Amino acid sequence: MAASSKKVFEVFVSKIPWTVASKEMKEYFGQFGQIKKCLLPFDKETGFHRGFCWIGYSTDEGLQNALQKDPHIIEGSRIQVQRNRKAFLGRKATKEEDDS
Amino acid sequence: FGLNMAALLRSARVLRFSPSPLLYVPGAAKYGPPRSGLYCGAVGARAIRVSARVLAWPCASLRQYGVAPQQQGVSKDEASIGLRTKQAQQFDWALAKLDSSVRRTGRVTKTLLLRIFHDICRTGYPSGNQALLLLRSCGSLLPEMPLAERTELAHRIWDKLQELGASYDASHYNALLKVYLQNEHKFSPTDFLAKMEEASVPANRVTYQRLIAAYCQEGDIEGASKILGFMKSKDLPITEAVFNSLVSGHAHAGDMGSAEGILSVMKGAGIEPGPDTYLALLSAYAEKGDIAKIKLTLETVDNTDTSLMDRDLMQVVFSLAKAGYEQHVPEVVERMRHERGYVPDAMNLCLSLITQGREDTALTVLKTFPSLQVESENGEVPDLGNFFLRHCVNMEKPAEKLIKYSRELKDAKLHSGPLQFTLYCAVEANKTRLAMELMTDMKAEGLPIRPHFFWPLLTHHQRDKNIPGILEVLRGMQQLEVMPDVETYSNYVVPAFPNMDAARAALQVKRGLIVAALIYINMSFCSLTVSSPTFPATDLSVFRGSLISGFKRLISKSVWSFSLFPAENVAYFLYNLIDSMTEGEVQAKEEKLRQYFAQLKSLNVFIPVTIYRGIRNILDAYHVPELIKDVITLVDSKESISTAEGRFVVLETRLAELRAEGKPVSAVLKQLIQALCAEEKLERALEIKAQFEQDMVVGAYAVLINLCSRHDNADEAMNLKRELARKDSHVALDATKYLALVRVLSKHGRLEEAIDMLKEMKEKDVVLNDSVVTQLFHVLNAAAMKGDVATVQRLQDTTFALGLVKPTANLCSPLISAHLESGNYSGALEAAMECHQQYNQLPRIHDIICGLVEKGEMETLQKAMDFISQERGEMTMLYDLFFAFMQTRRYKEARKIIETPGLRARPGRLQWFAEKCIANNQMEALENMVDVTEKLFECDRDEMYHYLLRLCQESNDWRKAEAVWTKMQEENVIPREKTLRLLANILKSSGQVVPFDVPEAWYEEDKPKSAEFLLKEKSLVPNETPTDYQLRLVTLCKRGKGKEAFNLLKDADKKGVVLGPAPYDGVIRSLLAAGSLEDAMAVREIAISHIPGFKLSDMASSLLIITQVKRNEVKDAMAHLKTMLQLDQVPSQLAITRLVQGLGSHGDVHGIEEVEGLVKALGTSLNLSRMVFLNNTVLAHIKNGDVDRAVESLETLYTQGGDTAHTSSVAFVFRKVIEENNDAALDKLSAMAERLANHFALYRPATDLFMQYLEAGRVEEAKFMLQRCAAIAEQREILLSYMTKAAQEPGQVNKIKTMKELVPDFVDKETLYSYLMKCYGLDKDLASAKALHDQVQQEGMQPDELFLKRLAVLYRDAGEAAPFQEPPESFKFYAEKLREKTKAQTASADD
Repeated sequence: MAASSKKVFEVFVSKIPWTVASKEMKEYFGQFGQIKKCLLPFDKETGFHRGFCWIGYSTDEGLQNALQKDPHIIEGSRIQVQRNRKAFLGRKATKEEDDS
Repeated sequence: FGLNMAALLRSARVLRFSPSPLLYVPGAAKYGPPRSGLYCGAVGARAIRVSARVLAWPCASLRQYGVAPQQQGVSKDEASIGLRTKQAQQFDWALAKLDSSVRRTGRVTKTLLLRIFHDICRTGYPSGNQALLLLRSCGSLLPEMPLAERTELAHRIWDKLQELGASYDASHYNALLKVYLQNEHKFSPTDFLAKMEEASVPANRVTYQRLIAAYCQEGDIEGASKILGFMKSKDLPITEAVFNSLVSGHAHAGDMGSAEGILSVMKGAGIEPGPDTYLALLSAYAEKGDIAKIKLTLETVDNTDTSLMDRDLMQVVFSLAKAGYEQHVPEVVERMRHERGYVPDAMNLCLSLITQGREDTALTVLKTFPSLQVESENGEVPDLGNFFLRHCVNMEKPAEKLIKYSRELKDAKLHSGPLQFTLYCAVEANKTRLAMELMTDMKAEGLPIRPHFFWPLLTHHQRDKNIPGILEVLRGMQQLEVMPDVETYSNYVVPAFPNMDAARAALQVKRGLIVAALIYINMSFCSLTVSSPTFPATDLSVFRGSLISGFKRLISKSVWSFSLFPAENVAYFLYNLIDSMTEGEVQAKEEKLRQYFAQLKSLNVFIPVTIYRGIRNILDAYHVPELIKDVITLVDSKESISTAEGRFVVLETRLAELRAEGKPVSAVLKQLIQALCAEEKLERALEIKAQFEQDMVVGAYAVLINLCSRHDNADEAMNLKRELARKDSHVALDATKYLALVRVLSKHGRLEEAIDMLKEMKEKDVVLNDSVVTQLFHVLNAAAMKGDVATVQRLQDTTFALGLVKPTANLCSPLISAHLESGNYSGALEAAMECHQQYNQLPRIHDIICGLVEKGEMETLQKAMDFISQERGEMTMLYDLFFAFMQTRRYKEARKIIETPGLRARPGRLQWFAEKCIANNQMEALENMVDVTEKLFECDRDEMYHYLLRLCQESNDWRKAEAVWTKMQEENVIPREKTLRLLANILKSSGQVVPFDVPEAWYEEDKPKSAEFLLKEKSLVPNETPTDYQLRLVTLCKRGKGKEAFNLLKDADKKGVVLGPAPYDGVIRSLLAAGSLEDAMAVREIAISHIPGFKLSDMASSLLIITQVKRNEVKDAMAHLKTMLQLDQVPSQLAITRLVQGLGSHGDVHGIEEVEGLVKALGTSLNLSRMVFLNNTVLAHIKNGDVDRAVESLETLYTQGGDTAHTSSVAFVFRKVIEENNDAALDKLSAMAERLANHFALYRPATDLFMQYLEAGRVEEAKFMLQRCAAIAEQREILLSYMTKAAQEPGQVNKIKTMKELVPDFVDKETLYSYLMKCYGLDKDLASAKALHDQVQQEGMQPDELFLKRLAVLYRDAGEAAPFQEPPESFKFYAEKLREKTKAQTASADD
């Protein structure tokens, strides 16, 4: 795959308690810097979110601030925050061949 | 001695088993068995204890194998897959599922059980052990289900599977009885027996035992006595279990005195009351609330040899609670010792209590849970009791109670957010009222309430299109002052309404919100981001292991059951036979093989010299050269002798000529000496050597030295060696020859010279490969067998000190053997300990310990135990001691060891001992091992019984085998299929009736003849019952003989025989699988005429759809799909795929959309790729001539499809278009692929197209594509997978070669070559393979073992001898090895 050179400042958050939604995530992570993106996917079949979320900052500074804090506690639960690794694209690339 | 041993046992046990808290238990005599899994909710079934381990066995390895990262083929034609394969796979899968559940939690959930039940039904033909597995799970393994429901489920399963053709034997009836007992189901034992009789299933000991228990459960002593009398009359043994039932029986009849009296009756009968006996008594007291007696009894137990486990006490707790004496519960709970497996057991106790309305007691128990995680550094509270809250919600406990429990958990710092969690459970389980009450309370507490809390509730109503339900939730939101936001409306509310207006009218909300919601919905449609959760593909586990061992058995048997081979084939067979045996087998069966060879000889069987050489090489490699002389007698004497003699003469003459002519003779001299040595003609070779001494070259010396060594002539060998050294002091022999020298020298006591040889090896850097290391072992062992400790020690130390080889347990063992041989056990121990200090090896420790136990050398034994315990851990020590006791038949001591608290099963070690027993025919030891490990934590019971049956088979003891089967029922073990097959084979080969349905091995394709023969015989029987027909039909269908089945069925119909739905369905499937649509429909008509409600099974329906599509009857197929869905049936993935493809080729875009909608409504269980629909829609557009639409939808997918889209394959589209030679469409698609590649950096379509060109052999176009879009060459992963796939079928090698030409560096050479070799192997192309091997060697590469193995097989199949040694292990072994290596490499590359 061609390498995309555009820099993103994303963290990947997991172990999010079910009571928290995007609004609360934005509020919490907003304290570290300006947020450009907040993606907390919900499963429309069940109505619950999947427990993980991507937060994109507009600057590297926001990202670093968020990464430096430990532990992150939201509504009494400890959540996991890590730098968003390059996506797992291509891992399943060969799965859908043939017979489609 | 007994006393001493007991003392030792105690010290061993009380030993530093320190990390385990289990020892902090008062009283030294408590060696109760640790239990795995669940609390036996044998609620009230006092005398019955269930073992969860019945299900908890490690599953057969589910690994699939092949080379490197091979791709799993997409589904094959359903019809071609043997049904039996599926059955076996499915059992394995179901088993793995249930097993992992029981292992983790000690229970099974209803959902899981039902899913497995449904799946088993869907495939048809449920096997006997599948049925057993399901039935067994309907008792106390379901603590979350009310008792009556469990029994109901058991009955449902029983009836349904019977209808589907499962046949039941005693094990099923016994399992059903167990379920009745566990569920306290009231039934009439006499009726039950009558039912069994009606079904012609004979009751056995276990049946009677359980019927007695059933009577006793009701307090019906009279009934119990009746059966007891019956058992006595049948001479069946009255076991402890029966007495235990009687204890409960008398208690339930209100006669505690008699209940207590049973214990002395038992003692009188020579049976010690066991833990279960005391438990029966304790439960009886508990039901009366007699806590004083309970305490007294517990003290009594403390003073006996037995001990009670936590789970026993849990049963007492349960009985107390159930009888309403909850106030006494704490007194029992505090006696628990929190043994291993306490938590899952206690959880199941809580669940059962909740299910049966004793949730307050459950909370009491919950609060005593040891907290699992230590609070983390920042003082987080672990969430304890989730399961408790969830089950309370599921059981509809009132909100006030839940709120109260939540407070208690929170205050006790056991849970951080119990209310939130309870709410989670409530909304998940669609309990709107409870959720509302909880949220009202939360709001009052000041906790936030958010819109998304209501979403899960809405999803339930949305699915059911339940508009009043939706409105109710919205009203609830209003009450709690939570405003529904846009997402709430758009995702969860509006979609439930048929249209916008209806929604707006019903909701009366602001127009703006609805519009916003609409826009939102449209957006999500446009962006095509339909998430499809990927499901893990079901493991395609095949019973490879048993397959291989099956063949082995076949082979080793055919040796002795003498062959009727035509003589010319014997030779090759002989070679293959020996080749297929392992070294150990050949060694073990040396004498038998010798007899066999002699037999062959007496039959005037000859083998060619080439084959002889092959066999000789194997025997050499297996270290049984003694057999070579037996084989050589089989060689056609004229051929060998005459040719050999002739050769000598020719060479000698030539030698003389050369010498006469004054020409160099070295080369011919070497040839002659080699030839003579090959025929073992030492004398003559030495003569020749003497004549031509000055012309001797190194090679000639080497073979001579070797021959001298072999002929035990140390003097001559050393003479030659010295002569050689004089000629050239730098020259080195190869390792085998050095070792031959070492052997002969040490044998003749010339130890120093032997040591010198070793030193010389080191000086001259002689490399020792694996086979030489084995030779070294034999050198050492030969000395050891003479008890020559000093020699062995010296040789061993020298080799290790010189660093010639790495020390291994095997190489260290001869030293120990030398000590043992001379009866010096403490010396052996010292030596072993020394080995451990120096080389970290502990050789032959089992034999040492056995010797010490046998001899009663207590002090040394203690020393050995201390040492092992310190060096290898307590567990290892205990196992060592255990096996030593087993080996020396000290079973009582062995049992004590295995009952050590905290001990768990080590399958590898148990297997080791079992194999030993089987090999040495030690039935008693093996039986005892199986017996004493019954309660061993995590012990795979089926595996243990399988060992026993194997030995029964070896010793041809069908009576024992039958007893093993009964024992398995008593222990509630569900046999795997291989175990049942083994048992059936034993019974059959002794001419016994097999009392159960034998699962057929899918791989026994070589046997249909006999089955057909049987069928023919059967058809001669004049009076045919429906059962007869059914049996024959099923058999024919299983054999894929649909036509025959059809004829038979018509025959039955003519005679007016009416069958059940299953056989009709089976015949229909069989016919459809063969494409006979009309016949299949005719069968359906017959079925409908007899069975009004007859409908096709899921599988038959799917096959029908496939057949219809194949015949181009797409409309019919579509109609049938709809019928299926209406009947709540689930079509197979393949049926949908074929249908969609059919629609695509008809250009029916609409139809595809419709199917997609239907499938989506079905849920996500089909594991269908979305690309199936998309690709075929594209093809439909193309078919309709609308290529632009096609291109447009593909472009949309790639450019807007989100993260996963650019990995979606459109190869199928390209393939179809290429196949149909639709160049106009291809041009546009090709342009699109280029555009996507060049403008959007999306290379997948271009790569797909490139590969489809290759696939179609249009190399020029592929090349052109590559030129315009060079990035294709970088899509290595895709290209690689193309190669992997190509290499799975014969005749594909050119594709790989072409690929290599076009994209030279798409793969490293090593991988490429190994795939090429794989292709040649498939194509049986030895010539190309040879060429490839040469090339590999020329390029200086080291081919891996798999490569060589493939090549060697090619050679062998062509009847040629490979110029290298064939790697001895299986393909699988090397493939795994290679995979491990690749994995390790990628892992390190990732770091």
